[in-house]
Amino acid sequence: MKKDSYHLHDPTWCKGCGIYGIFAALKKAAISLQIPPERMVIVTGIGCHGRLNNYFNAYGFHGLHGRTLPVAAGIKLANSSLAVLAVSGDGDAYSIGVGHFIHANRRNVNITCIVVDNRVYALTQGQTSPTSQKGFVSVSSPFGSKETPLDGPRLAIVSGGTFVARGFSGIPEHLTELIIEGMTHNGFSLIEVLSPCVTYNKINTYKWFKENIVNLDDDTDYSAKTRKKALEVLSDRSKIPIGLLYHEERPSFDDLSLPSDIPIALTVLDVDEKKLDAIMKDFE
Amino acid sequence: MISDIQVMIAGVAGDGVLFTGNVLGKILKRQGWEVVTYRDFPSNIRGEATNYTIRASLSKIYNRGDYIDVLMAFDCDAILRHISSVAENGVILCEGGVSESVRLSPKRGRTFHKFPMKELAKKNFGSEIFKNTILLGGLCYILDLDLKIIEEVLSEVFLKRKVKEIAENNIQALRLGCDEAEKIVKEEEKHTLEERPDKNRLFISGDEAIALGALAAGCRFFAAYPICPATEIWQWLLKHIHEFNGLVVQTEDEIAAINMALGAAYAGVRAMTATSGPGASLMMEGFSLAGMAEIPIVIAHLQRVGPSTGLPTRPEQSDLNQWVFGAHGDFPRIVLSPGTIEECFYFMTVTFNLAEKYQCPVILLTEQNYGQNFYTVEKFDLSQVAIDRGLLLSQDELLMIEDYKRYALNENGISPRVVPSMVNGIHMIEGNEHDEKGYRDEDGEIRIKMMNKRMTKLNIAAKDVIPPKLWGKEDADIGIIGFGSTVCPIREAMDQLEEKGISTKFLQVRTLWPFSTAEVEEFMSSCNTVFVVENNYSGQLSRLMQGQGVECSRVHKINKYSGHTFRPVEIAESMLGVLEQ
Repeated sequence: MKKDSYHLHDPTWCKGCGIYGIFAALKKAAISLQIPPERMVIVTGIGCHGRLNNYFNAYGFHGLHGRTLPVAAGIKLANSSLAVLAVSGDGDAYSIGVGHFIHANRRNVNITCIVVDNRVYALTQGQTSPTSQKGFVSVSSPFGSKETPLDGPRLAIVSGGTFVARGFSGIPEHLTELIIEGMTHNGFSLIEVLSPCVTYNKINTYKWFKENIVNLDDDTDYSAKTRKKALEVLSDRSKIPIGLLYHEERPSFDDLSLPSDIPIALTVLDVDEKKLDAIMKDFE
Repeated sequence: MISDIQVMIAGVAGDGVLFTGNVLGKILKRQGWEVVTYRDFPSNIRGEATNYTIRASLSKIYNRGDYIDVLMAFDCDAILRHISSVAENGVILCEGGVSESVRLSPKRGRTFHKFPMKELAKKNFGSEIFKNTILLGGLCYILDLDLKIIEEVLSEVFLKRKVKEIAENNIQALRLGCDEAEKIVKEEEKHTLEERPDKNRLFISGDEAIALGALAAGCRFFAAYPICPATEIWQWLLKHIHEFNGLVVQTEDEIAAINMALGAAYAGVRAMTATSGPGASLMMEGFSLAGMAEIPIVIAHLQRVGPSTGLPTRPEQSDLNQWVFGAHGDFPRIVLSPGTIEECFYFMTVTFNLAEKYQCPVILLTEQNYGQNFYTVEKFDLSQVAIDRGLLLSQDELLMIEDYKRYALNENGISPRVVPSMVNGIHMIEGNEHDEKGYRDEDGEIRIKMMNKRMTKLNIAAKDVIPPKLWGKEDADIGIIGFGSTVCPIREAMDQLEEKGISTKFLQVRTLWPFSTAEVEEFMSSCNTVFVVENNYSGQLSRLMQGQGVECSRVHKINKYSGHTFRPVEIAESMLGVLEQ
């Protein structure tokens, strides 16, 4: 698998959009993991991130706003041999789809979720999002946002998430590593990506993020093994931690629930009269 | 000789009415009778009034009858609630005897007996819990049932729960009840049921028939959220689907349920969900996506009383509009409506074929009274079940195609489908309007072509769906139209009218969408008077007929929306009221 194995078209996102970094990191991760494009499925939601399928050479599913995670789980459970990714946005995953986000973490199906967090609703032209900072002025909050922003990784950890990481699209090499680790993780993996919107968010710029992030992967004292430690660093509002925040080995939903190692989608369908007849005896 | 009998067990939730009714149903089935149960219960676990009617007949029945022959009441209030439905020669047995007001209330010759089930249970076994088996013992005497069959059924029930001691105690309680009844019930008050052969029959609920149908048809993925009265479908499937390498997932809500099913169906598995009105409202967005993205999924919908939470445990037919007209945008959908428990099974096995052939959502629409009640049916004929996956390409077929297009345009609108993991098949599934490869496209001409493509599929499907069924005398000029579970009280009402010398015929609409307009029009034109019978307020079927351009000026609507099914006599009397004018 080469770099262009996954490159279908040149994207047309705004010049300088953070998602270019994510697009590049995702392609690199796929090369590194040597996943054939036809064995990869990317489910996207509604938002600027939803265009990713149009540029990425893999099976794609661009469905409804906020519903990437149940769709991705359905695909993975139906065919466990596929690499399934859900690419979502801060509005998609943390607002309209937050119910699924919480349950996807606790259910722990073996899929990877990338949340492109630009802290604004960009595709609908600049409304305040659940991750917009307090006081954020936009067309939907002209007097400044009155709500406390939501912290996706923190929510993931308290919801029972087993792999919680945060990257920054301005450091694609680091992000690539996180995506590779997430996709290798057995269970649900979340990689939230801080991704500047150059058109509708003039506050959280590349410069602003660079000044405000701290990379835990550079901190040899930090261990991602304890929930307490992860919640502690996430509670410190002075800095935005990036890197692998929390990692736990727990049997995935797939391990615990799938009836066999044979993917369900590969089961040959026939009317097994003998077996069904035996079952019908229960009703006699 | 008795050819039809109806027993009601009444009390409050927590009395074990449901359990006792189910056991009695099974006993009567083993006695060789046709059995229908009718659960009338509140959305409550303990304390509120509940009753269970068990009807047995020598002829095939699917609904409760008009009057109660034997009423077994755990309290006096239960008698007050149901006395008006007790037949003239009916027998009433009550835990504490009856109060003066009850004794004075009957206008007809019903007889009352004190039958202290709780008292006897406490005295003999130290626990009220055995009252239900004592009740069964009482019925055993009144109906002259075969004690051996009852013992056999009880043993099966309790041994399944692996409690041998309880099984033995229950058999003792049974004999006690039988002896007690013998002391108080006079010989002439007995309703003796003749024993008949019980061969090749099942005693099954509509929900179980749907689940069995799904399994037989190759359903291997089921995602759902608990809701009355559809949950029993997947609770039953959970016991068996793993033997077929399948999976049931309980999701966080109905939105997740339909989207997860869509994911699994896209990945190549026969996938479905099941719900009722409120859940269906949440599923509408995913339903629309299935139409747009052409993903074959099946939704079983068990109608209960709406709007809102309505009466969650009671039947209605008011969600026809929801599936025929629901969700945003125009897209193809197929809505089937079974009229018998057998049809619940057989239609279910057809849904997946239709969904995959026409690559669109298919709904099996039935009602709570079918879903949660038990019926005797002929053992399902598995040789009638066939699996047709439509235009689903194999890997070899796909490799032969030079430039695969998921939404390839052609005359009939049906494009070959492939699933992820197949080489040479990469494409997009798009909820946005898209081109032939599935990539988003906002061009007006593409939009028109794609809309036409999707909607054209339905024109072909219309010739492949289940046609209406005609009952009664073809040359009668009084016609009835209905759908779903009203089919059965309608047929009994027809018999009652026939006895009065009035011939009728009945058209059972079995596919609600695409609508059988031509057949309905032909039927209407052969009648002078037409009744449309529906378990809803507004007459959703007759409105659908009107919307399809059917001339409806001669239609008389008969509607019931009390949260109960029709009794046959109610339909017959309503029709007579119009006919005698």
